[in-house]
Amino acid sequence: MGVIKVALPPDDKNLFQMAYGYFVTISSGMFKTWSIFWKQITKQEKSNTLEWPEQPATYSDRFKGKHFLTKREDGQIRCTACFLCATACPAQCIHIEAGEHPTNEIEKFPVRFEIDILRCVFCGFCEEACPVDAIRLGPEYVMAGGAGEKWVYTKDYLADRSELNGGIVSVKVENTKHYTVDTDLHGDNLLATDAPHMHH
Amino acid sequence: MSQETVTFSINEKEITVPKGTTVMEAAKKNDVYIPHFCWHPGLPIAGVCRFCMVKVDGRPKMEIACNLQATPGMKVFTETPEVKDTHKWALEFHLVNHPLDCPICDQAGECRLQDYYMEVGKYKSQMERPKVLKPKALPIGDDLVLDTERCILCDRCVRFEEKITKTGALGIFNRGDRAVVGTYPDKKIHHNYQTNLVDICPVGAFTSKDFRFKQRVWFLKDKPSVCPGCSTGCSVDVYAKPEVRSYFRVKPRESDVNGHWMCDVGRKTYRHMNQEERLRSGIVTGADGFRTRSRFDEAASVLAAKLLEADTNDIALLVSPQYTCEEYNAFFSFFVGKLGVKKVFQWREPTEKIETFDGILYRGDHNPNTRGLADALKKHGLPSDVKNGFDDLARSGAKLVIALVPEIGFQYPSLNAQISKLEELSFVSLWTINGTVFSHKGIAHAIPMKGYAEKKGTFVNFEGKVRELAHAFPAGSDDARDVVEVVAVLSEVLSHSN
Amino acid sequence: MTQEKPKILLKFEGMPNGRALKTYMAHSGYEALKKAFAMSKEDVINEVKASGLRGRGGAGFPTGLKWSFVPKDMPGPKYLICNNDESEPGTFKDRHLCSVSPHMVIEGMIIAGFAIGANKGYIYTRYEFQEEIGQVEAAIKEAYEAGLLGKNILGSGFDFDLDHYTGAGAYICGEETGLISSLEGKKGQPKLKPPFPAVSGYLARPTIVNNTETLANVPHIILNGAKEFRKYGSEKSPGTKLFSISGALGKPGVYEVPLGYSWNRFLNEEAGGLLPGLSLKALIPGGASAPLLTPKECEDLTLDYECMAAKGTMLGSGAIMVIDNRQSMVELLRCTIEFFAHESCGQCTPCREGTGWLNNIMVGINDREVGADSVDRLHLVSKQMGGRTICALSDACAMPVMSYVQKFSDELKAHLAKG
Repeated sequence: MGVIKVALPPDDKNLFQMAYGYFVTISSGMFKTWSIFWKQITKQEKSNTLEWPEQPATYSDRFKGKHFLTKREDGQIRCTACFLCATACPAQCIHIEAGEHPTNEIEKFPVRFEIDILRCVFCGFCEEACPVDAIRLGPEYVMAGGAGEKWVYTKDYLADRSELNGGIVSVKVENTKHYTVDTDLHGDNLLATDAPHMHH
Repeated sequence: MSQETVTFSINEKEITVPKGTTVMEAAKKNDVYIPHFCWHPGLPIAGVCRFCMVKVDGRPKMEIACNLQATPGMKVFTETPEVKDTHKWALEFHLVNHPLDCPICDQAGECRLQDYYMEVGKYKSQMERPKVLKPKALPIGDDLVLDTERCILCDRCVRFEEKITKTGALGIFNRGDRAVVGTYPDKKIHHNYQTNLVDICPVGAFTSKDFRFKQRVWFLKDKPSVCPGCSTGCSVDVYAKPEVRSYFRVKPRESDVNGHWMCDVGRKTYRHMNQEERLRSGIVTGADGFRTRSRFDEAASVLAAKLLEADTNDIALLVSPQYTCEEYNAFFSFFVGKLGVKKVFQWREPTEKIETFDGILYRGDHNPNTRGLADALKKHGLPSDVKNGFDDLARSGAKLVIALVPEIGFQYPSLNAQISKLEELSFVSLWTINGTVFSHKGIAHAIPMKGYAEKKGTFVNFEGKVRELAHAFPAGSDDARDVVEVVAVLSEVLSHSN
Repeated sequence: MTQEKPKILLKFEGMPNGRALKTYMAHSGYEALKKAFAMSKEDVINEVKASGLRGRGGAGFPTGLKWSFVPKDMPGPKYLICNNDESEPGTFKDRHLCSVSPHMVIEGMIIAGFAIGANKGYIYTRYEFQEEIGQVEAAIKEAYEAGLLGKNILGSGFDFDLDHYTGAGAYICGEETGLISSLEGKKGQPKLKPPFPAVSGYLARPTIVNNTETLANVPHIILNGAKEFRKYGSEKSPGTKLFSISGALGKPGVYEVPLGYSWNRFLNEEAGGLLPGLSLKALIPGGASAPLLTPKECEDLTLDYECMAAKGTMLGSGAIMVIDNRQSMVELLRCTIEFFAHESCGQCTPCREGTGWLNNIMVGINDREVGADSVDRLHLVSKQMGGRTICALSDACAMPVMSYVQKFSDELKAHLAKG
C-alpha cells in the first residue's frame, strides 16, 4: 500500500500572509472582469458573445464539420466511387454503390453515396484518402436534430443541399477519360498516326 | 527410370531440378521470388515484359529467367543491387504510359503493377511528358471490357486465345508505344472461357462486365471450393463479403483437374447464393391452407410430423446430383436405412446431353456429383444408373415426396416445369436454395438449403477424382442448413416421438 | 597492311551488260559452285571458317561458325535466307550489290545451301527496292533456265530452289528472326532466343540468315581459297567490304575497299572529300544505330571492326554518314529517335516504352517545352534500354542517343536555352 503525502503549508508563512495573496489576486482579476463588463455595457467595446441562434456564427473554412461532395466544372459530381474513403473510414459510416456512367466522359461514378452521420467521428480521413478531392468536411456545424431527422446523408444531400448554393466546384485537374471512347481499334486515329497521340 | 537432373544455384543456394527446367520454374518451386508479368505457367513463353531479369555469373548481360534453362553449375543471382535496379527500371518503363486509373480500376488491390511498385519501385517517376493515349472501355466480348491504355502488352491474352481456346481472336496491332491489343475488325470474343482473360491479365486492361464496379477487391474474402457447374469439378475460389452475406465472383484455383482455367458458366455459380435469389426461410402450410414463411425449426418439425403419420410405402425420395457425398450418405442412411423408404428417383434435366465435352473443361453433365450419387445409391442397394425419375415418380403413387432440388437452377432449364409437376402431388417437401419455389403456389413445404460455398464435403467428378469443398463461408441465411444437418434434426425429432 | 583497292564484289560495276548471266559466266562465274560440289560439305564450311569472313549485315558474326551451328543429322527441310532487307538509315550497299552482280549472290546462296544442307532458299528484299526486285527476279529466272537452280544442279545431285520475297517495309524485318516471322506471314517481330534460328527458325526448321554481301563473298572464297581472301584486310577483319558513304561530299556512293582502310584516305580519295567550305562536325560510321564520332576521334580511324570497337562505336553495315558543320545535332537526334520509335515493334517493354519515351522527351527538347535536365534524362533512359530486349533495336536506339548526349550535350542544352 502506498502512502499519499499531502503537501503542508510552508512553515515560514502564516495563514494571514497566504490569505493576503489570495485577496489581492482575486480582486485584481475581478477588477478586470468588471471593467470589461462596464465597457461593453456602455458600448465602449464590442462584445464577442453572440446571441446564437438568432445571430449566425461562422467557423473557419477549415473546420471539419458536415461533409459535402464537390463537383466538376460541368456540374457533374466529382466522386469516382473508388471506395478509398469507405476503406479509410474508421467508423465505417460511408456506403457507396458504384455504377457505369451513362456518358462516355466519366467511366465510374457513385450510384449511391451515403454517410451515416450518427456513426461519423469527423476524423477527416475520408477527405485525406480521396484521390480526386471529391469529399470534404465543411464549416457547417449545426447537425442537431430530432428523432424524425434523416441521419443518413444521401448523395443528393451531400452534393446539392441548399446551403451549398448549387454545389462546390473543385478545380483539381479532371480525372475523367481523356477523350470520347473510340470503339474502333482499327480506326484512322490509331493506325494512321505515325507519331504518338499526345495529350496535354 | 530416373529423370536426368541439373544442379545449379540461385543466390548461392544449391537447387536440383529436372533437365529442361527454366530458372523461373525452379525459382518458383524453391520459393525464390522473381517478379514477372508476361510469364504464366499455363501459357507458352513470350519473354516480352523483360521484368524477370536475373544475373548469371559470367555472362555480360542480364538474362530473363523465364526463358533461361538451368544448366549444371550455373550461378544465378536475383537480389543483387544490379538486378534490383533493373527491376526498378523495368517497372518504370511499364509505368511510363500507364494511366493513373487506380481509383476507378477494378484490378486495384490485386494489380501486379501496384504490387511491384510497392516491392521494387517506390521511386519518383522520371516521366514528365504527356502520356500516350489509347482507346478505353471497349466492350470487346460478352463479359469483357478492354482498356487498351492500362494494357502493358504482356501478350498473355493473345497467347491464351491462341493456345488454350484456339480461337485466335486477339492480336496486337500497330507498333512501338502505339501498340494496342484488340480483336480483329468487326469481331468480338464469344466463347465460354473469356473471363480467364480477366484473371490472367496482370493489370486492369481486361475487366469483367459481371464484376465491374461491384466491389473493391480488398473488401472481399475468398475460400477454396469446387465449382458445381458441371461434372469436371474445377477447383475454385469463391469471393464474398460475408458481413453482408453477398457473393461476388468465382475464380479458378490451380489444380490438376482444371489447370489454371475455368469456364464462364462456372463463374455464374455464385448468384443463386445471394440474398435476392435464394430461399431464405422455410415454407409451411397451416391448417387453414395458407402458406407462410417459417423458421427452420418449424419447417423441420412439420416435416417430422408428416413423416410420422405417413406409411413408408407412400414416401418417395427425389434426389438431384448436386449435393455432396456426405449429404447423400446421411440422407439415404436415414430415409432408406432407418425408415425403409424404397422409392428413390433421380432428378435429372430432360434436355441434358451427358456425353458432350467442349474439349477444354466444360462437360455436358451439368452436375458436379453424378458419380457420388451413383456410389451412394449403390451403397444403399438402390438402382444407380442415370435416369430422369419424374415419370416413375408420378406413376409410383407416392403421397409424401422429399425432393433435393438442384442447387444450380440455371443448369436446369426445365426446373420450373419440373417443380410445377411436383405441385400436383399431395405433399411435397422441397429442400432447396432456389428462391423461385415460393412462386409455386402448390408447394406446401420447403426447407432452405445452404449453397455449395457454405458447406464442407466432397464431390466425385466425371473421372472419379474426389474434389474437396475444403472451407465454408457462414450460411447466407440464418435458416439455411445442409442435408446432413436437416437429417440430424429429423432423426432427433423422430427418435423422441417413438 | 595493304592499301590496294581490289574489285572483287563490284567486279562487274560499270561493265556493259554486267548483270547478265552470260557476262558473269565469262568471268569464271559459277566456277566456285562446281568446285564446291567437288568438295565435302564440311570442307566448304571449313574453308569459309578459315577465311575469317564476318557477317556484313552489321553484327560481324563469323559466317563459317554460324553455318556450323546447323544440326547436321537432323532430317527434314532446312532453309537459307538471304537478308536483302537493307533498311538501316544511311545504308545502300546491298541494293547496289544485288543490282550490279545478282548472280554472285545467287551462286553464294547455292554454295551456302549446299554447305548447310538446305534445299530451299529465299531472298528477302526490302519493298522499297522496286527496281532491284525486278533485277534479282530476272537473275533467278536466268539461273533456273541455265539449270543452275532447281533439281540436280550441274549434275551434282544437289537440289536448290530459290524464291524471292518482298517485305512490307519494316526496319525490324532486317533482324534475322523478325525477317523469319515476316517470311512466315506473321507480324514482323523478332522471336525469343533461344532457340536460335540455326536450330529452329523459319517454320521451326534450321535456318541460316546471311546478309547479301556476306553471301556474295562466298564464291570468291571457295574459288580462290581462304588465303587469297585474307590477302586483303586485317587478321581479325579479313576481306574487302562495301561502304556506302553519304553527306555533303564530292562523290558520295558505294565503294569497295579492304577492311582496315584508312578513313582519311577513304574520305578524300574515294568519296571526293567534303564540299568546299565545309568542315567535319561528326561522323556516323555504321548507320543510324552506331554511336557517332567527333572529328578528333576520326583522325586515326581505320575502317574495320576492331578500330571502331576501340573507339566505342561500330562498323555496322558500313553506312558512313558525314555530318558537316551546317547540320543541327538537335534535328539529327530528333530524326534518329523518331525513326527508332516508329520502327520499334512494340514487343519488349524497355524498347516499346523507351523509344517512345525518348521520342517524347526529344519532341519536348526540339519544341523547347522541357528543362535542361531532359538532356540528361535522355542519357539516363537510354542507358537502361541497352541489352534488355529480345533484339538489338533497343540498343540501336540507345547507343547513338548516349553518344549524342555525351558529345553534343552543350549544343542540345544551348538549343533549350535559346527558347
